[in-house]
Amino acid sequence: MTKPVTLATPIEELVREFPESVGFLTRYGIRCLRCGEPFWCTLGELLEAEGISEPEKLLASLNAFLAEPKNA
Amino acid sequence: MREKAMKSLLEKLELKSKNIGACAGPDAWYEDPKGQELVSFNPTTGEPIATVIQATASTYDRVMNEAGAAFLRWRMVPAPKRGLVIRDLGQVLREVKEPLGELVSLEMGKIKVEGWGEVQEMIDICDFAVGLSRQLYGLTMHSERPAHRMYEQWHPLGVVGVITAFNFPVAVWSWNAAIASVCGDPVVWKPSSDTPLTAIAVQHIANRVMADHGLKGIFCLTIGSGATIGERMINDSRLPLISFTGSTRMGRRVAEVVARRFGRTILELGGNNAIIVTEDADLDMAVRAILFGAVGTAGQRCTSTRRIFMHKAIAAKLTQGLIKAYQQVRIGDPLDDRTLMGPLVTKAAVEDMMAALEKAKEQGGTILYGGKRLPELGEQFVQPTLVKMPAQTEIVHQETFAPILYLMEYEDLDEAIRLHNEVPQGLSSAMFTTDLRQAEKFLSAEGSDCGIANINIGTSGAEIGGAFGGEKETGGGRESGSDAWKQYMRRQTNTINWSRELPLAQGIKFGDG
Repeated sequence: MTKPVTLATPIEELVREFPESVGFLTRYGIRCLRCGEPFWCTLGELLEAEGISEPEKLLASLNAFLAEPKNA
Repeated sequence: MREKAMKSLLEKLELKSKNIGACAGPDAWYEDPKGQELVSFNPTTGEPIATVIQATASTYDRVMNEAGAAFLRWRMVPAPKRGLVIRDLGQVLREVKEPLGELVSLEMGKIKVEGWGEVQEMIDICDFAVGLSRQLYGLTMHSERPAHRMYEQWHPLGVVGVITAFNFPVAVWSWNAAIASVCGDPVVWKPSSDTPLTAIAVQHIANRVMADHGLKGIFCLTIGSGATIGERMINDSRLPLISFTGSTRMGRRVAEVVARRFGRTILELGGNNAIIVTEDADLDMAVRAILFGAVGTAGQRCTSTRRIFMHKAIAAKLTQGLIKAYQQVRIGDPLDDRTLMGPLVTKAAVEDMMAALEKAKEQGGTILYGGKRLPELGEQFVQPTLVKMPAQTEIVHQETFAPILYLMEYEDLDEAIRLHNEVPQGLSSAMFTTDLRQAEKFLSAEGSDCGIANINIGTSGAEIGGAFGGEKETGGGRESGSDAWKQYMRRQTNTINWSRELPLAQGIKFGDG
């Protein structure tokens, strides 16, 4: 993984740079793609819209997931 | 596609290894050194095809200024003369149908015949628009006042913003651009970031036609992300109409922002299209239609078939027929003549599909066929998948843009129609039946709640002559044929008094003594 994902990372960039994020976030009921197209917002905005109460915690889990050897 | 063949294809369409993503006509390609590079990848191999320097705020404004200036001239060109430009656009598209269709396949992964079909759709809408250019009819009304004439006429609206998705990277532009331009409106286009090269190829074609007619600014392009160019467009009051194709979530955002400035929108959003197969249906026909609807374009059409409601009496036979048909789907390079299904558009799309299948299993679904990645073909290849669901669960209510087909059984038609209409989306629908009563019920006011409802035809593959679009979370917009053109124009009601009196409407006497 080149750089960690932040809450300011645009979803368009997230799905392009880290496609594995899509499956990870779906487990939490958060979908980044619809009609095959990514949302225009940032990750933080998406988590807020989905009512995630502790976005920093989920972000840390996402970065840990992306740092796993099979995803990195 | 081998490198040499790919290079030759790109050359035929005037594409280079590095391209500029902002254009307002012939010799009006605008590059900003601050523009970020976007790489377009071949979904079949994962290798880069070429790059695009994306538009910036500055180049976007230059394009908008040209389009705005073009509108002032274009609106006064008689509509049938505008139609001649679209006639020529259709002619050039006929000439480049093969390479442009192949570029569509190369860049987004649909099979070659579908790529060519998409260009044919462009040609068809140009033909339609040429005829339309002589038929932008308004009504005449009888005035209640003597010696008065009342009528309505349709005037050009302004510059139209068109935001399209990857799955129909050229056809949806043409639905909008051909109709808008005969209506007197220039078009500024933001294509999907997954298919920038097809957009640039189309811009070169449009430039050729504009050059032949001494025009500039009628067909314009701004390639960039949604967060930069997309947001700029929807907030731009110089665009009185935004035609948006994409997700319901983004459509809601577009609708809110554009409505705040009293602009208009045409929204073509998510679909979750179903087919009801009744007990007396022609099952051979149904299997063929379902296969095309669910597997065509790798399940990445807005109108792809995603749900099947099978009458209990034929469920086993239909399921077996589908499994057999799915086993015969040849998956591979979309440019290979023998291929029926190519890759998904991105790696993220593959992840999205796999995550949806996990959810389906958690919710009681059983995979009857498929469900796996095909890494031996490439990272973005998957098996088309049949999932038997015990009920219409939460994941079935969601649109997953992938070749997943959920199979469910029903016992009576009312139940099937209720389940059919239960999802939030309302784009396309179909019934396979030989029973006239069931067919008519499905098409009646108590039947399908979708914008498109077919009998003995699948959910996808619409013709350009009808209005295309759907209800509920699909957004309510209508594009392409029928009277969709009216959205690209403003209606003006005119009353002319040719008498020597000044009678008021409703018989009001005001200061007449």
